[in-house]
Amino acid sequence: MTSEFGQVALVLCFAIVPIIGIVLGLNAPGLRSRGPVLVGVVAGIIPILAMYIPKGFVSGPEGMGPRLDNWLIILAGFALLLGIVNVLQNNFKKIARRDSGWFFSVVLLIGLFVTGGFGVYGALSKVGIGFNPDGSPTPFKYMTDWFFQPLQSTIFALLAFFMASAAFRAFRARNVEATILLVAAGLVMLGRVPILEFLAVPFPFLHAAASSGSQALGKLTEWIMDVPNGAAQSGIIIGAALGAASMAIRVILGIERGYLGLGKGE
Amino acid sequence: MRGFLERLLRMDRRWIFLFVLLSVAIPIVVPLGLPVTTTESTRKAFEFIEAMKPGDTVLISFDYGPSSAPENDPMAEAVMRQCAIKKLRFVVIALYPLGGLNLANNVVAKIAAEFPDLKYGVDYVNLGYKDGASAVMRRMGDDIAGAFPTDEAGTPLSQIPLMKGIASLRQVQLVFTAATGIIGEWWITQVHPQAGTPIIIGPTAVSAPKYYAFLNSGQLEGMLGGMKGAAEYEKLMRAAHPEMERFYASTRAFTATKGMDGQTVMHTVVLLFILLGNLAFFLSQKKAVR
Repeated sequence: MTSEFGQVALVLCFAIVPIIGIVLGLNAPGLRSRGPVLVGVVAGIIPILAMYIPKGFVSGPEGMGPRLDNWLIILAGFALLLGIVNVLQNNFKKIARRDSGWFFSVVLLIGLFVTGGFGVYGALSKVGIGFNPDGSPTPFKYMTDWFFQPLQSTIFALLAFFMASAAFRAFRARNVEATILLVAAGLVMLGRVPILEFLAVPFPFLHAAASSGSQALGKLTEWIMDVPNGAAQSGIIIGAALGAASMAIRVILGIERGYLGLGKGE
Repeated sequence: MRGFLERLLRMDRRWIFLFVLLSVAIPIVVPLGLPVTTTESTRKAFEFIEAMKPGDTVLISFDYGPSSAPENDPMAEAVMRQCAIKKLRFVVIALYPLGGLNLANNVVAKIAAEFPDLKYGVDYVNLGYKDGASAVMRRMGDDIAGAFPTDEAGTPLSQIPLMKGIASLRQVQLVFTAATGIIGEWWITQVHPQAGTPIIIGPTAVSAPKYYAFLNSGQLEGMLGGMKGAAEYEKLMRAAHPEMERFYASTRAFTATKGMDGQTVMHTVVLLFILLGNLAFFLSQKKAVR
């Protein structure tokens, strides 16, 4: 069997079978979910087979596995398009109804169209979205450098203010668990920065003691991060991976159908 | 004392905001020059790249956006400078949709200006951005050109001298990902087991705890945890390559070492607030019991 077989098999599974499913589904609503489930089953099985079957039509450069990866990249692009359509629908609705804060939707849509427009212009003019041939920034780059980047940084920077305020108001040693958390967090905060050296700045005679104290705190912090934190993180990661694997098996076997978005009885 | 603490509990939060603003802004304007101690995870990352041979290839992935740029930018710059000085070739990509490419372009332009001898296409190449991070990584594990048929300027990979002999990530000696969110983890879980390429990660401080599990299991060669990790890397760079001093001694440029001054003062202020908050809480509890 050659790569062409893999190509034909993919077209059969992801094009012909779904089309047949859709046609059948029009007349028999009970069959509506069968096609997508079949597509989900095949899409789930192929990458697993590609890991274990060293045959060209499955795992070769032009086999089903790598081809599916390529399709996934294209699908991710369409997901972005879906997001844009969703943003447009919601915000146009909000403006039409004059809901509270509708003016922000206008700003959002202007931002979307102007930035997107510059991006499309960059693609059509073949200049791209980085620099013009003379080294000057393209309009898209100007937008990202002087609008998008500062805005994103500002929004994220606001977290520091709210985090400090929340820590002051809510980080209390109310019970044993909260006290353990508080002590561990305090130690890590102390150990991650040269806080003792900072506090000892006005007292030169304390510099040596502050330095050795800071190093000891640093080692304690590393131990907390490495041992208790590392062990807990391993447990969480393994648990999540087992959960994801069991969910994948449910999808592959057609048991989990929530992703189809169908109503009851379909 | 009790009255003061009770008033403190009812304090307008705008006072806290003011303290935060001052504790971050003053050390950036007037650097304190506080010392930085290095940790094992950063040393391992630094030593791994130091031990690489001239001509080896490093893939540098920009998996972060402007929100975490003050943490991640210094990491990417330091690793790229180390590549330039060690004569390692580097391939730049961006997988983060919210501004990853722009940050990559800016850092590449900065490093290219700092090292005028670097030749585009020979010593380094910028492949640009591709959507669908985990699928892109899987594809690159088998065929880089399958995921990135051209570089950022539209030149086919087959016409780029650096990419000759680098068909997949198996021919890349190291992947360095400066990452926020889940994308960094995918390099470890998707690429390392399949292609076997060593991974070094530079995550934000908030996501660094997760990666200790991967460090302990040997799936990561090293880690630059947050701004502290970046500052540690800068210290190691300055110690090993004194010629790097010119990039870090400037009083105008932002470096992670400078950022750590602000972070130190900020940690002190937050710890102080937590301490005072708890003191006031205990005193109010005691009063309620009476």
